[in-house]
Amino acid sequence: MTRRRAAVPARPSWQWLAAACAIYIGIAASGVCVAAVAQDVRGLFVALAKNQNRQDELLAQYSRLLIERGTLSSYQNVDQAAERQLAMRFPETVERVSP
Amino acid sequence: MSRWRHFTVVGIFILMSLGLSGRMAYLNVTERTFLQEQGDARSLRYETLAANRGIIFDRNGEPLAVSTPVESVWIDPTEKSRTPTEISNLARAVGVDPRELSSKLERYAQREFMFVKRRISPDEVEQVTKLHLDGVHFEREYRRYYPAGETVAHVVGITNVDDQGQEGAELAFDDALKSVQGRKRVLRNASRESIKDVEYVTAPRFGKDLALSLDLRLQFFAYRELKSAIEEHHAKSGSVVMLDAHTGEILALVNNPSFNPNELTRVAPDARRNRAITDLFEPGSTVKPLTVLAALESGRFDERSIVDTTPGYMHVGRLLVQDPVNRGRLSLGDVLARSSQVGIAKIALALDDRMVFDAFVRAGLSEMTNCGLPGEVIGKLSDSQLKNPIVRTTLAYGYGLTVTPLQLAQAYLMLANSGVRLPVSILRRDTAPTGQREFDTETVSTIVQMMKGVDSIHGTAPKARVLGYEIAGKTGTARKVGPNGYDEDRHIAFFAGLAPAKDPRVVVIVVIDEPQGDKIGGGDVAGPVFARVVARALRVLNVEPEEVAS
Repeated sequence: MTRRRAAVPARPSWQWLAAACAIYIGIAASGVCVAAVAQDVRGLFVALAKNQNRQDELLAQYSRLLIERGTLSSYQNVDQAAERQLAMRFPETVERVSP
Repeated sequence: MSRWRHFTVVGIFILMSLGLSGRMAYLNVTERTFLQEQGDARSLRYETLAANRGIIFDRNGEPLAVSTPVESVWIDPTEKSRTPTEISNLARAVGVDPRELSSKLERYAQREFMFVKRRISPDEVEQVTKLHLDGVHFEREYRRYYPAGETVAHVVGITNVDDQGQEGAELAFDDALKSVQGRKRVLRNASRESIKDVEYVTAPRFGKDLALSLDLRLQFFAYRELKSAIEEHHAKSGSVVMLDAHTGEILALVNNPSFNPNELTRVAPDARRNRAITDLFEPGSTVKPLTVLAALESGRFDERSIVDTTPGYMHVGRLLVQDPVNRGRLSLGDVLARSSQVGIAKIALALDDRMVFDAFVRAGLSEMTNCGLPGEVIGKLSDSQLKNPIVRTTLAYGYGLTVTPLQLAQAYLMLANSGVRLPVSILRRDTAPTGQREFDTETVSTIVQMMKGVDSIHGTAPKARVLGYEIAGKTGTARKVGPNGYDEDRHIAFFAGLAPAKDPRVVVIVVIDEPQGDKIGGGDVAGPVFARVVARALRVLNVEPEEVAS
């Protein structure tokens, strides 16, 4: 009576092993890339938010400076400064000034 | 033994997998909407993308209306109960009566949003921040500031608390000026920081900037001189309109009383009226140049024609027309320079029924100027009774019709442009518009030549003389209508003129309502305002003086 030998699975060939490693490495690399891109996106989002805030701040500052300029350079102030500080008067005569 | 253990462990894992799968299927199918909403509510938020209202500038880029961000304080009354001390501290920080805030909180007890105070100052923001109160939030809004204040209040107008135009250019050009806040949906982390834009719901739209035709320097001069004259003559109100004679742009438009658009509490409604475009007056003698223009056009008169005004009065039906003194025989130029009622009446009666009326219509006195400002009204000019000589006579010297100061300015703009009628605009123009010719060039030039005599020693307004420049103009002193007809004691003083007369650069109308005192005529009250405003305006506009002293 002869005993049947158990079937021994065939060893995977080195090509299959290489393919599996490549897929594994690819998946791992893809995961790392996804994480890196997600990090980049977060970084860019933070930068965008900062820039938008900066834009808002600059626009606010521009508007405040415009108001300040408009107030300081109002002709009421200019006129008073001309008359009181610089003793300027509106001309009473018309004369041609030659260089 | 080992096989039994193997199947037991495998079975447990299979059961666990089935349990998890079943739970997952249950949550995904039956609870999906609820869980999605709950998740979104915790992680998704809407954020506002700020956009501010357009800036209004004058023609030289000086800011007239600017929006700047300010903070508004709000709380959620349902979020937590607050102690009286907290309420009191918060109220004091923003300058509100604590009792008022308490009662407001009671009223809003069932609501999730309540403004404590809108548009607070930076100091108040700091005060509130220092309190470190939970549940007190700031919302960014925009507040409109008007650096030029009362000088340009009627033209620029105002906005309401929601930044919508209410008056003046703010209302007229609201569609262009207004901004639309944007909205986006963001993902937030547990620390309530935005970590990702999910979607842009609405893109922000910034308001467009607007350049008015006003020159702030001229506006200031006009306002200062008008205010000074009103105080000096204890007048009720007044207006000055200055147009660019080449383009029809409004360089200055002022009224007094005025108001400070930055502080609207305690402003009388009367002070907010833009009288230059809403108030109607009988223009009195300021329309006499148009009557003489009609006379010259008729061919029945020329510049050498003489009108005999002796004995200084005349009757037209039951109407007595009289001059202050017998002025005798006058040329047409003298009729204008001395503003002879008898002379003008005789000229008008010598013309066909409709001639004077038609000249007024062609000069624009029957139409709105459509300058672009809201609330403009149109005067009354009717041809229904022109068969009646009394109507024709009174019409010729400016009674029986009404105009706004701006309408009168447009009529004089036609004279400044040798008979071409230009549209008037409150917006800056880069090129001169093409007008419509209404009168012959030479005829109008003759009229302007006659109007030069107004500031002579024999004219009605020697005080309207402008040093270094020759001007052309006409005074007017119209009686106001009271409950019993024309009032002897209430007048309107006018001066309407062009400068320089040779090549007009500006057209100026001065109206002073109800001046008091001995001198209430246009030459004494409005003439000096014209002279001072024009003297400064021509220098600002770099118009070379004609008369140069050695």
